[in-house]
Amino acid sequence: MARRTHEDALGVTGAETVIGTGVIVRGNLESESDIVIDGTLEGQIKTAGNVTLGINAIVKADIQGANITIAGSLKGNINAEGETVIRETGHVEGDIRCLGLSIASGGVFSGRSIMEAPPRLDPDATIDNVEPPQPEPTKPSPRKPSRGNKE
Amino acid sequence: MYYYVVNPAAGRGQVKNLQDKLRTRLTQLGIGGEWVKTTGSGDATKLTRAAVAAGHTTVVAVGGDDTVNEVINGIDRDNVAIGIIPIGSTNRVATQLGIVQWQQACETLAARRLTPYSLIAAGQKFFLSTLTLGFETDLDKQVDTDLTGLRARIGQFQQSLGAARNYGTLHCKIDVDGQYRLECDLFTLSIANQKFLNPLADNRLIVSLSDRPGQTLKLGQMVWNTLRNRAQGTLGDEHATTRFLANRVVIETDPPTGIMVDGKVTSRTPIAIRLTDRRVRFITEKVVADFKNAVASARG
Repeated sequence: MARRTHEDALGVTGAETVIGTGVIVRGNLESESDIVIDGTLEGQIKTAGNVTLGINAIVKADIQGANITIAGSLKGNINAEGETVIRETGHVEGDIRCLGLSIASGGVFSGRSIMEAPPRLDPDATIDNVEPPQPEPTKPSPRKPSRGNKE
Repeated sequence: MYYYVVNPAAGRGQVKNLQDKLRTRLTQLGIGGEWVKTTGSGDATKLTRAAVAAGHTTVVAVGGDDTVNEVINGIDRDNVAIGIIPIGSTNRVATQLGIVQWQQACETLAARRLTPYSLIAAGQKFFLSTLTLGFETDLDKQVDTDLTGLRARIGQFQQSLGAARNYGTLHCKIDVDGQYRLECDLFTLSIANQKFLNPLADNRLIVSLSDRPGQTLKLGQMVWNTLRNRAQGTLGDEHATTRFLANRVVIETDPPTGIMVDGKVTSRTPIAIRLTDRRVRFITEKVVADFKNAVASARG
């Protein structure tokens, strides 16, 4: 997953790239942040953020990103660090490599899916070299307002 | 010592009435300096160039966006700071830097908080704020957007809406950083430095394109917002349908069209627009901490 920095939280490191309906893009689209495409694109898409193909998108490209959502048409391979979602209107022709895949009813996927397992705990870890969990500090329970002693 | 480049024609001659008050206040604040007046277009650039060569490290543009732009184009050294006293008809640059009144501008100059910005080059010209082409640029030819007052504003809106209805679209090809090429029909395009809109962001071009809205209501909203942004000196791309970041773009349109930089038509397409290494330090009202607080409070 792409790591979100403090500046990302403020939404300032870079505006999202948005390609609207009716716009044709040819070439390699690279970004550090999220990409939303609702137009036509031929080439490559590479980002550390999420990629969303809108309902009007017609894309012929390999896509590399964090989480990928497809509601339009894609011819090309997907390489996602996180999850891939194919929506009801989505159409994908190509291979998908990701951690999780979800296809909504009506969504079309034609290709191979390679699911990579999420990172697992180290099997060599023993009870001796695992630090015990620290107890959470207990919060004082809120005092109930007393009902008596009316003045 | 501060060097004040005064445009006596700015703000329909407003400087004449303010000059004495201004000088008194600046002297009180201990930043009285040398005053020079421009006599025509391009004069502020020449005067600034001469002042920088003579060793001045702070040049203050007393006027509107035109004067600021001319001063920017006269600076060729990193150690020079630019200040603004906004008394022009359009003060977008100053407003975006947080300076809205001359009294406040004097205090800001005295406080001397510096923020560096990379300049944008459009052909041979340098600018800081915004470049537009398409309907917004055309609007200036059709409508007098400087008028104030409610009746004048309603008249402006009606005229502008009429102009928008009759305005077609421009077929546009944009090469972005030599990496990809974008083709579309556009209604209006604007380019600004991302950092200029948001002091926490990096220096990068933010390019916004808008389609022609199909519905009259949406077209009306777009025209209204364009006029409002002009009147308030703010920048807005709320109607953008396409937006991306770049370091260099080459724009071609069919038919070729005029390009407006900070409210003045300066050249025509085709044109290359790039973010330069040239950094200019501006004396600004905005500080990063204030901006962070504003973002935090806006997000609840």
